[in-house]
Amino acid sequence: MAEQTEYSKKKECEVKALPMEEKKRLVREGKAHWFFPGHIIEQVVLCGFVVLILITLSTVLPAHLGDKADPFDTPAHIKPEWYFLAAYYSLRLAEYTDFLGAWAPKIMGIVAQQIAVTILILVPFIDQNVNERRPGKRPVAMVLGFLAALTMVIFTILGHLI
Amino acid sequence: MDIETLHLGPFKIKNKIAIRLFSALDDRLGVKEIVDDEVFEKIVPAHLGFWSCFGGISFFLFISQALTGMLLMVYYQPTIEEAHATVAMIMNEVPFGWLVRGSHSWGSNLMLVTIMIHMVKIYVSGIYKPPRELNWVVGVTLLLLTMGLSFTGYLLPWTQLAYWATVVGTETPAALPYVGEYIRYAMRGGEEIGQVTLTRFFAIHVMLLPVITASVIGLHLVQIRRQGIAGPM
Repeated sequence: MAEQTEYSKKKECEVKALPMEEKKRLVREGKAHWFFPGHIIEQVVLCGFVVLILITLSTVLPAHLGDKADPFDTPAHIKPEWYFLAAYYSLRLAEYTDFLGAWAPKIMGIVAQQIAVTILILVPFIDQNVNERRPGKRPVAMVLGFLAALTMVIFTILGHLI
Repeated sequence: MDIETLHLGPFKIKNKIAIRLFSALDDRLGVKEIVDDEVFEKIVPAHLGFWSCFGGISFFLFISQALTGMLLMVYYQPTIEEAHATVAMIMNEVPFGWLVRGSHSWGSNLMLVTIMIHMVKIYVSGIYKPPRELNWVVGVTLLLLTMGLSFTGYLLPWTQLAYWATVVGTETPAALPYVGEYIRYAMRGGEEIGQVTLTRFFAIHVMLLPVITASVIGLHLVQIRRQGIAGPM
């Protein structure tokens, strides 16, 4: 049984059921690592790094607290946080659809966002190339993914600039 | 388990009390099997590199957000009169308040960065492919939940930027036909942004979304445990 499917293709429950000797062999051959203690130590060290980064950022660039909200004073430039800038810019971009009618600009932006999120959710079902995982052998997925990411980056930058 | 030495992975435990205690737990809950399966006799793929760790870091940041968030709640008051002042107090007077709020604020930004890196890695390595399709769907849900947490948390200090960003943010869905006006009304708790909005965002930010997000993270992790970490390509 153990030899029939390669370790990397096994399900977790199959790996768990492997005899101890087989697990030792996989570790010896460099295909696997013990979860304890090596992997756990790695995780703890990583978490420690994250804590250090948080402390450093909080010290060097303290969290900003702006002026108290005033409903009667509209600021000149209202801009969302960086992770909403792409969505924000797509709403601005949708204003160019006003040739379709007065209704279009606002709705087109939201609809476009909904479609983008739906596509993102459905990625595994859209990609019918189910067996190939190597990026070099999946040119279509790589190009489309790159274009999508590039669009997000450009929209974010443009959203920041307007 | 009536034994002299208890073998737990690399550990040999000879202490009688420890063995009795562990035996008692093992008789009732089968602890030995769990500890062996999930810790001491568990193997993980050897190739896991730098880019594989961002899911775990996102998870750690979620826990960090929960902890710093609880600490912030000790002093924060969700009223339009006091919110800004209490956040200022946390920054200026509360011991290490600046650190807790700084970690919470930076943590939210960092969490979105690490989730995005995690997604790119999963996409490029084709890990979303069978049998892990469903876990990609759960993962995207987690990204959306995190954005929801950021959006609702942003209003809580009741600053100019937060207030007006929320005005714009809640105005956006109002353009939708039929349901838009209702969505805006539901988000604001009225026509205008005011105390009801702040109360609502506070409740969603500290209770509703964290509980949902924690549950969905559970779903994400259970799937990983059942399917195992993806092997090399």
